[in-house]
Amino acid sequence: MLGLVFATLWMAQDELASQAQELAMRKQYDQAIGLWQKALQQNPKHFPSLFNLGLTYFNLKRPADAVPVLERAAAVNPKDFNTRYLLGASYSQVNRVDDAIRAWRAARVIPSSHPRMLLELLIVEYGKGRYFNEAAEVAKQLLRDKAGEPNAYFLAIKAFQDAGDFDSGEAAAAEAVKRFPDLPRANFEHAFYLQKRGAMEDAIGYLRKAIALDSKYEEPPFFLGDLLVKQGKNEEALGFLRQSIACRADYIPARVLLSRALMNLERWEEAIAELRTTIEMDPKHPQPHLMLSQIYFRQGDEAKAKVERELSLRLRRENPTILEAAQGRPFKN
Amino acid sequence: MNTLVRNLVFCAVCWSFNVKAQGVATHNAIAEKRSAFSGIPWTSKLVDTARTAGLRSPVIAGGEKTKRYIIEANGSGVALLDFDNDGFLDVFLVNGSRLDTPPVDATNKLYRNSQKGLFEDVSVAAGVAQKGWGSGVCAGDYDNDGFTDLFVTYWGPNVLLRNTGKGKFVDASKAVPAAGAKDWSSGCTFVDYDRDGLLDLFVTSYQKFDLATAPLPGKTSNCEWKGMPVFCGPRGLPYGKVSLYRNKGDGTFADVTASSKIGDAQGFYAFTAVAADLNEDGWPDLYVASDSTPSLFFRNQKDGTFAEIGAEAGVAFNEHGFEQGGMGIALADCNGDGHLDVFKTNFAGDHPNLYLNRGKGVFEDGVLRAGLGVNPQYVGWGVGFVDLDNDGLIDVFQANGHVYPELETAKSSEEYRNPRLVYRNLGGCRFEDVSHLAGAAVAEKHSSRGVAFGDIDNDGDVDVLIMNMNEPPTLLRNDVSNKNGWLRVKLQGTKSNRSAIGAEVTVGKQKLVVMSQTSFLSHNDLRLHFGLGTQAESGVIRVRWPSGETQEFASVKANQEIVLVEK
Repeated sequence: MLGLVFATLWMAQDELASQAQELAMRKQYDQAIGLWQKALQQNPKHFPSLFNLGLTYFNLKRPADAVPVLERAAAVNPKDFNTRYLLGASYSQVNRVDDAIRAWRAARVIPSSHPRMLLELLIVEYGKGRYFNEAAEVAKQLLRDKAGEPNAYFLAIKAFQDAGDFDSGEAAAAEAVKRFPDLPRANFEHAFYLQKRGAMEDAIGYLRKAIALDSKYEEPPFFLGDLLVKQGKNEEALGFLRQSIACRADYIPARVLLSRALMNLERWEEAIAELRTTIEMDPKHPQPHLMLSQIYFRQGDEAKAKVERELSLRLRRENPTILEAAQGRPFKN
Repeated sequence: MNTLVRNLVFCAVCWSFNVKAQGVATHNAIAEKRSAFSGIPWTSKLVDTARTAGLRSPVIAGGEKTKRYIIEANGSGVALLDFDNDGFLDVFLVNGSRLDTPPVDATNKLYRNSQKGLFEDVSVAAGVAQKGWGSGVCAGDYDNDGFTDLFVTYWGPNVLLRNTGKGKFVDASKAVPAAGAKDWSSGCTFVDYDRDGLLDLFVTSYQKFDLATAPLPGKTSNCEWKGMPVFCGPRGLPYGKVSLYRNKGDGTFADVTASSKIGDAQGFYAFTAVAADLNEDGWPDLYVASDSTPSLFFRNQKDGTFAEIGAEAGVAFNEHGFEQGGMGIALADCNGDGHLDVFKTNFAGDHPNLYLNRGKGVFEDGVLRAGLGVNPQYVGWGVGFVDLDNDGLIDVFQANGHVYPELETAKSSEEYRNPRLVYRNLGGCRFEDVSHLAGAAVAEKHSSRGVAFGDIDNDGDVDVLIMNMNEPPTLLRNDVSNKNGWLRVKLQGTKSNRSAIGAEVTVGKQKLVVMSQTSFLSHNDLRLHFGLGTQAESGVIRVRWPSGETQEFASVKANQEIVLVEK
């Protein structure tokens, strides 16, 4: 190690940065960080070193260390999309939410080939839902730039949904199914908006098509089951919900809904069995316990009902956000 | 560097944060699709007559432009009662306060109905001009002397006002065990839980609130609304409690909270309380709307104790098991199946609940199927099941208003002041939004809280009194333009409590309950109003008295008030 340090004393900053990058690729992070810092001693404005050092800190879950380095990188190269993007993510990690938003807004205005990445970031991390409207704006940009990509539509639809922009989501879903009629996801998204518009039979038609196109896709049979339960067609819903679970055994919402349908049919023992399975898969989820308490109550076994009720309430207290939805920020930029 | 950057980018996306807690339960609900309009004319027009009637003083409720603490946000209840037994409803308004100096006349207000469309402020003369952070009101004749008494909840000691029958109330607060200085009581209801003919008292507390320790806006994730720093809570602040006081029959009350097991329930921010026999066993139960915590259903065990069974019975959460920001409660049989159903208003971004009673106290939330999921954008507060157009079907009136006045200046899609909502019952507890047909006053925007219902001018339709935050109240006179018949029923208990609180009256397929508190921390006319449609007569009137006795009364002609006395 000592030999390496001496050997690098005379090396040019670019070469140091290049060696550091190779070390980082081999996960020799401490040595890589040393070389980047050495390069920055020679030239405090060496952008590759600043960026990659910040990146490495970020990947090492040291966002507090990443922030000052990336701030320097952004000052050296203010039009670099990736730097702004990463700086925003780092700020966000240290709960400097407003600074994160400023960095991401700066990234947004930089011409880039990464609007999709930015949109993903906005949706997933951008304050966890507090800035859905801004994500929706990026979604519109994405559809303008990448209209040929199905995933662009699906990301945009998600952003519009989260932002509460029903009309844009509906239009994007309709366009997606028109452009990509054989994609199960496109049929599924379109069906969602059709049912919201009250066109239930049309929605069911698109869901059936999505199921036919991909029998391994868990969402369409789940959603179809949900619609049927809401219509009181519990018996009919059972098959679709079981199909959804067959696609994805740990799909808790489908299991909970299947239990609900069984409860509605007063098939208590089957519902109890399904709920017990759900609890095995997700012991911390309060909902199966709540439903068990309701079944036992209806069966007249109030002692068992109380036990399950108390368990459900305790699990809620221990994980208060498990049944919460993040709030979309209503404010414009 | 490109490879590394790409790795970074997707890695950054993969790193996710936990969803932060927030101050209030809400669920990003979007409006449900509205069914095609029925085309049936809506014949009830609501006209605001508050100003001309003399109800001009604002109800004080914390800061006007900004609110630093939750104590400023919840507003207060209102009551319609005939305190002087002249046959006309008078108006009682609970007043709040301000953190800085409140206006000198920020007191509770009692307005006597002059019977000519005017109200006279008799607050001081009647002895009800108390100051403080008032919350809720409930009414009932707790000493069975024939005059309606009042109980008013506060942040701090509550106030019991005994009606002397001489146009005055006396402060009888010492008759009830006192609340602590930091207890923020909210709901209350008189209820004869032990069926001894004496009204007992149930009191809910929203939380234990202490200005010295309450955090300031923006301090934690419980102090934000969609990224905007706002007052904190209710989450993160100390929970409230519920208390039960038994009427000893000598003018005083004994604290039976522990022995009745009411006090076993914990972990809630309780608001409105209603008392009714929800499980149809002849004994009054209690239901409490809770904010951002499970709502509570105290089943009367018929032995002086209660069991809290909200979760099991299906009235603690919505159908997905989510906690909700519960505020107000309406209670009646809305689908004519003989069972009492419950409508509960909730916070914005969430649907209300329509808990349909399937019998024996088992409920299912049918709000979306009922067509009541079309306006989740509002924070709902006072609410009533009332037959506004006298067609024999119970409609819904709901007042709204956000809790953050900061929304008025923020670039937001949400507003602090909201219109009111009127839903017509199409039959079978299916509703359609007719707010746009119900008059300009319904569309007016206020940040409203408590609402009370009653026939103020005794003209055969239900009028509406609404508390507006830091504004004068709204008094909606109902002008019904059809020729539907009606019947107003006044009950007088003899074995039961004299106010007949808890009595159920069935006319045709309509069943209503005499309640001491309902809506949001408010009190309705104790007389029950039934629309009769085109029927010239009421048909048999069935009364189940709070004593448990049932009595049938012969059919009477429409368009009158009748007094039914327990035999």
